[in-house]
Amino acid sequence: MRRVLGGVSLAVETDEVVAVLGRSGSGKSTLLHVLGGLDAPDAGRVTIAGEQLTGRRSAAAARVRLRHIGFVFQQFQLIEELSGLENVLVPTRLPGAPDGGARRAAELIDELGLTPVASHRPHELSGGEQQRFAIARALVNGPEVILADEPTGSLDAANGAVVLALLANLRGRAVVLVTHETEAAAIADRVLALDDGALVNSPDGPVDLRR
Amino acid sequence: MTSAGRQLWGAFADARQGLRSRRRRALLAAVGVALSAAMLSAALVIASGLGSGFNRAVRAANLGDLIVRFDPQPASTVAKKLDALPDLSGFALRREVTSLQISFGDQSTSNAVAEVIGSGRRQGFALIAGHGLRGTAAGVLVEPALASAWHIHLGSDIYIRGLGTQPVVGIAEGPDDVGYPLAAARVYVSLAYVNRRFGRDSNPYVNFAEVWLRNPRYIDQVLVQARDESFGLQNLQFATQSGTRVLIDQAAGIVIDLLVALSIIALATAAVMLAVSSRAEVQRRLRAIGIRRAVGATRGHVALTLALETLLVAVPAATLGTLVGWLATYRPGDRLLALLNEPGPGAQLILPLLACWGASVLIPVIGAAWPAWSAGGRAVTSLLRGADVARARSPRWSRPRRTRGRGGSLTRLGARLVAARPTRLAATVTMLACSAGFILLMIALASTLSSLATDPQELGKHYQLTAGLPPSDASTVARLPGVQAAQPRYEVHAVDGYSLGEIVDVIGYPRDNDEFESPPLASGHRSHGDDEAEVGVGLADALGLVPGSELLLELPTGRQLQLRVSGTVNSLDSDGLVAYVPAKALLAADPFTSSRIAVLLNPGANETAVSDELTKLGAAPQQASTATARGGPLVAVLKRILLAVAIVDGLVCVYALTQACTLTVQERRSTVAVLRACGAGGGAVRRLLLGAVLVLVVPAAVAGVLIERLLLGPALSNLAVSYATLDLQATAADVLVLIAGLTAATAGTVWWVARAALRESVVTGLAA
Repeated sequence: MRRVLGGVSLAVETDEVVAVLGRSGSGKSTLLHVLGGLDAPDAGRVTIAGEQLTGRRSAAAARVRLRHIGFVFQQFQLIEELSGLENVLVPTRLPGAPDGGARRAAELIDELGLTPVASHRPHELSGGEQQRFAIARALVNGPEVILADEPTGSLDAANGAVVLALLANLRGRAVVLVTHETEAAAIADRVLALDDGALVNSPDGPVDLRR
Repeated sequence: MTSAGRQLWGAFADARQGLRSRRRRALLAAVGVALSAAMLSAALVIASGLGSGFNRAVRAANLGDLIVRFDPQPASTVAKKLDALPDLSGFALRREVTSLQISFGDQSTSNAVAEVIGSGRRQGFALIAGHGLRGTAAGVLVEPALASAWHIHLGSDIYIRGLGTQPVVGIAEGPDDVGYPLAAARVYVSLAYVNRRFGRDSNPYVNFAEVWLRNPRYIDQVLVQARDESFGLQNLQFATQSGTRVLIDQAAGIVIDLLVALSIIALATAAVMLAVSSRAEVQRRLRAIGIRRAVGATRGHVALTLALETLLVAVPAATLGTLVGWLATYRPGDRLLALLNEPGPGAQLILPLLACWGASVLIPVIGAAWPAWSAGGRAVTSLLRGADVARARSPRWSRPRRTRGRGGSLTRLGARLVAARPTRLAATVTMLACSAGFILLMIALASTLSSLATDPQELGKHYQLTAGLPPSDASTVARLPGVQAAQPRYEVHAVDGYSLGEIVDVIGYPRDNDEFESPPLASGHRSHGDDEAEVGVGLADALGLVPGSELLLELPTGRQLQLRVSGTVNSLDSDGLVAYVPAKALLAADPFTSSRIAVLLNPGANETAVSDELTKLGAAPQQASTATARGGPLVAVLKRILLAVAIVDGLVCVYALTQACTLTVQERRSTVAVLRACGAGGGAVRRLLLGAVLVLVVPAAVAGVLIERLLLGPALSNLAVSYATLDLQATAADVLVLIAGLTAATAGTVWWVARAALRESVVTGLAA
């Protein structure tokens, strides 16, 4: 068995953007998956908005994700059969989602300048548009934490800059951004480095992603 | 090793590696192949066993090319006429003694037939156990259906009126008639023994001749000559082998043609399913094929690898499935054949079963190899792009859709994921619809068979009991508690007045017969007045009667009954050779017509209590007869066969659903993973899958019901009997049974596939 992460300790505040840099295979994505409850750590604990995520059953972890966490992926992960708007609406229609999802989706799409292409399907959109829809999907249920995994990895420089600006300007949320691009880290309030599973320059105590 | 050998070995190694890395998928594919093979072999055993049963029986028994029945004549007279026939190879004469009483243990019948046979080599029956009749020694042969029904074994002693107790020395199968209880019980007795018992008769009387020709192709010419030579023989009836076959098929009712037709549908369904699943597997692996091609694999290598991989899965699965299908159906099939006096296929099934096994292996192999070969020819870049997700490019898909409830949205998304593969969707729905229609037909058929066997109402008989009392006691019976009405039911057998030799069951009621007996009207109107009659469709067909025609019947008294036909009715009694006439007219022609009192009970009345009351009055109460009163064993065997085929078909449906749903989930692992990353729990995933299954099940169920009601039911409703139309269209209750089954299948599929989907790590799904 290979040790991917060890001795990681991180706390992120509301309105803070934390960038985690690292080479391929350094454990960046694994850290993000553990923070989002997609992977369970062998030891340690993760607390999101006051709710402990580790040790929960998968259904309970899913409820925490639904309410408190939004994911942004490198490959956008939009559903091909759905339009941009419908993709944004997906989390709002899951059982237990907060009310008012349709209104928030419309607002987000408007804010992100996506209204003209809201009815387009993913293969009819540019990479930047797809990623903006993905960000809208991550935000639509009003989560306190956004976890972004190489959000500009599949974009050209111009589109990447737009996406980074969006993430940087999110208010009232904690953003954890993992990337291997130093340019992406420029938007962060704090930059940490992950080297062979160890989070260096991180004297912040236990991992506690509080408001 | 040659270059071809190296390539084959390389492909084989790749195939083994592919299977090892996809064990669950390989197992699922194997289950599909096994189920299809089971369905194929079950269909084949039934189709081959029943479809060729008569030919096998004819060969085994060396049945004569021509069977002649006539009033008893001295053997020498008949022999002289037969010797004059052209192209004659040989003949056997015998005496058929009818209305004979035989019994064994508690079982007894007074309607048996004894065939008194000579010592010729050819007799037209096959000895299948024991030994033949030996000269003047005592002993009889019995037919297998009788032996089975009465549990008679070799060495058992049966009682034959006139001959006393006789040992059973052999079991003989005569294909010129169906077995007991579909027809009269039949035993074979030696003429030499009869002579020894009753004194030698040098020129015994015979009434049956079986004739063999040198060249059966000339049967028509021989028949013409035989009719010319037959002067002096009364009540002459000829039957050729094909004529005998028709008679036996009629006697068997809803049997051979129906099951063969259903089996062919099953064959087609299984073949479609195998091909579709193999093609879907290749479709799923397009990217892998692209990668192989990108690293230098030839198109042939790709196709060969896929073919070998499928072969490794299909061979053991097809072997298992073929064996299971055969085991599930050969015993009921043999039992059914025994009732028809036909031998089971035995070793003759080996070749067809091998063919079935070969088809079960080859169809998936070709179904995998051909699309792989075809895909291998596409541009590598297109393959690498095309394997991820289906891209429906129709602009209408791009329109935003209004969504209603939260659950509805997920369900609709599931449906859209499946609809993204329109070819697979269409093939799966078609296959499910055919299977659903097929299962529904079997449910309807089983219901009809049960009704015919147990419910006199199916024949239009509204009365429940008859009492053996004089007509004058009808009012006494009508006053009994639980009795709604009682009337004398007169019944007599007449012959048609047109000298066509048709025996007609004539039934009469003093007043309108509708209250007591009214088979469904096929044409015309119900009879009113003393000069009108309703006739069965069988009689109408035989005599060319239509509403308004004149019906002329000759009663046993010699007097004639002349009535106008008001309508024809679908009666299954007496093969439809039945006439409902006014009792007044019947009694005027024959005042001594026998009668029983028909008893109509109040709704909910206790039939047993009324029977007891009738017994106290000195009547011998009987239940109203059903259509299959003599065919109970046949109905039981048929229902067993229908059940076996329906279960296999139902399992195939469940498999097809599970497979389609699993393939969708496998292809959309990343979609499911994204949903779960967004916070979807088990319930949400199950709703998604529910949509995926419903988009297959709902149209298939609707189409299945339509197929059965508009196509299969009507098409087969006349197949069973030519003299009546059976309603084989599924009822609401039958449809409910189907819906219940499909609902259970849907629930099971959703649960099973969701369980597997939720086991997978979200991270793994996202990386897919």
